[in-house]
Amino acid sequence: MISLTKRIIPCLDVRDGVVVKGVRFEGLTAVGDPPELAVKYQEQGADEIVFLDVKASLMGDETLRAAVRKTAERLFVPLTVGGGVRSFDDVRKMLRVGADKVSVNTAAVAEPALITECAEAFGSQCVVVAIDAKKTDGGWEVHTHSGTRSSERDAVEWAKEVCELGAGEILLTSMDCDGVRSGYDIELTRSVVRAVTVPVIASGGCGTVQHIVDVLSIGEADAALAASIFHYDQYSVGDVKRTLAEKGIPVRWCC
Amino acid sequence: MKATVVDYGVGNLHSISKGLERAGARAAVSSNPYDVARAECIVFPGVGAFGAAMQVLRPAIDEIRDAITGGVPALGICLGMQVLFERSEESAGEGIGVLKGEARRLDAPRVPHMGWNEVRHNSDALFEGIEQDTQFYFANSYVCVPTEKVTLSETEYGLRFPSAVRKGRTCGVQFHPEKSSEPGLRLLSNFIRLSEGTA
Repeated sequence: MISLTKRIIPCLDVRDGVVVKGVRFEGLTAVGDPPELAVKYQEQGADEIVFLDVKASLMGDETLRAAVRKTAERLFVPLTVGGGVRSFDDVRKMLRVGADKVSVNTAAVAEPALITECAEAFGSQCVVVAIDAKKTDGGWEVHTHSGTRSSERDAVEWAKEVCELGAGEILLTSMDCDGVRSGYDIELTRSVVRAVTVPVIASGGCGTVQHIVDVLSIGEADAALAASIFHYDQYSVGDVKRTLAEKGIPVRWCC
Repeated sequence: MKATVVDYGVGNLHSISKGLERAGARAAVSSNPYDVARAECIVFPGVGAFGAAMQVLRPAIDEIRDAITGGVPALGICLGMQVLFERSEESAGEGIGVLKGEARRLDAPRVPHMGWNEVRHNSDALFEGIEQDTQFYFANSYVCVPTEKVTLSETEYGLRFPSAVRKGRTCGVQFHPEKSSEPGLRLLSNFIRLSEGTA
């Protein structure tokens, strides 16, 4: 028997109820309906789907909740929703409409007790802490508010702390690599993976299948998140998995 | 068959309800433990914490136990599997106790056990049409340790643990069939057939 497989997670940036693409928050164009795209990736063999509300302010908005509800009824792989989650009640509402996990970033930094409160009520497996990290001299610093504000916290130390508080998973984004498509930050990823005892999803920088191979092997990540390589139909999830399997990386084989 | 999905007040119940409907059942959601005790078929979903789930069930725990022992089909998923046992290391207080044993904290380098992992089964009717070593989706920090012979399948993560159990029409799975794509939907359909006595 083999052990746990590595996960491939397409990320859908959602704004006003539609999936958009563009480099980070600029030049966004609508590319489709969230449930349609989520189901398409599910059929390609995606292990999970992430919805990220790029406006990061509309979590209470009925448009996003309606999109999550419609998606959950057709999606039989896990769905994580993040962006703009401010409170315990935001997390509860998002789970109720069909998210399996909710990712928190700014609110967790502002009020770390929120992590514990959610973990105790919903179980750690629902609570994903998203960490946006930017390189500094000798380390990485946590940024909040969609990457616009420095928190002056060390990313590796913060990762350890959120685990102690009850986080069940870390979604780690390298701000330096995000949108550049020249590869994940391997050093950052490995540093966090080795510091914590929960699974780590690497994000930011994916441009080729080799980048995914590298972050799952050398970077030691448990899962790789990617957006543009899937949205531009450069590769299907199945293509990525075939390459990973050829390189000896355990994946869920479904195609 | 009408399957009653227990609502502990937290978590996503859409996928399990839709999964049961695809399996040919009608799904209803209830947070009333007395409704659960009177159900034709009970599904204990897999979200939340042990103590919080038992708090919802406790007012009618004797009635629910009697119903399941009396042959009402039940499926416990992840946490829902754990509440079928006598107790859990996660929270104080008793479980339903229709299965003998307890849930223990998973002893592995990385917890929760999160993602797709292989299930090696004994070809029980619950796994009909599902290939050996098929991967299912897990998201658990606890595993069940039965003290009676109920294990149908095992999965390896740090240690080997029972990923599915069955005693008569009482079934428990540590993975999430409603999140495990086609094989998961097949398992739900097998459960409904078992419950209807047509398997």
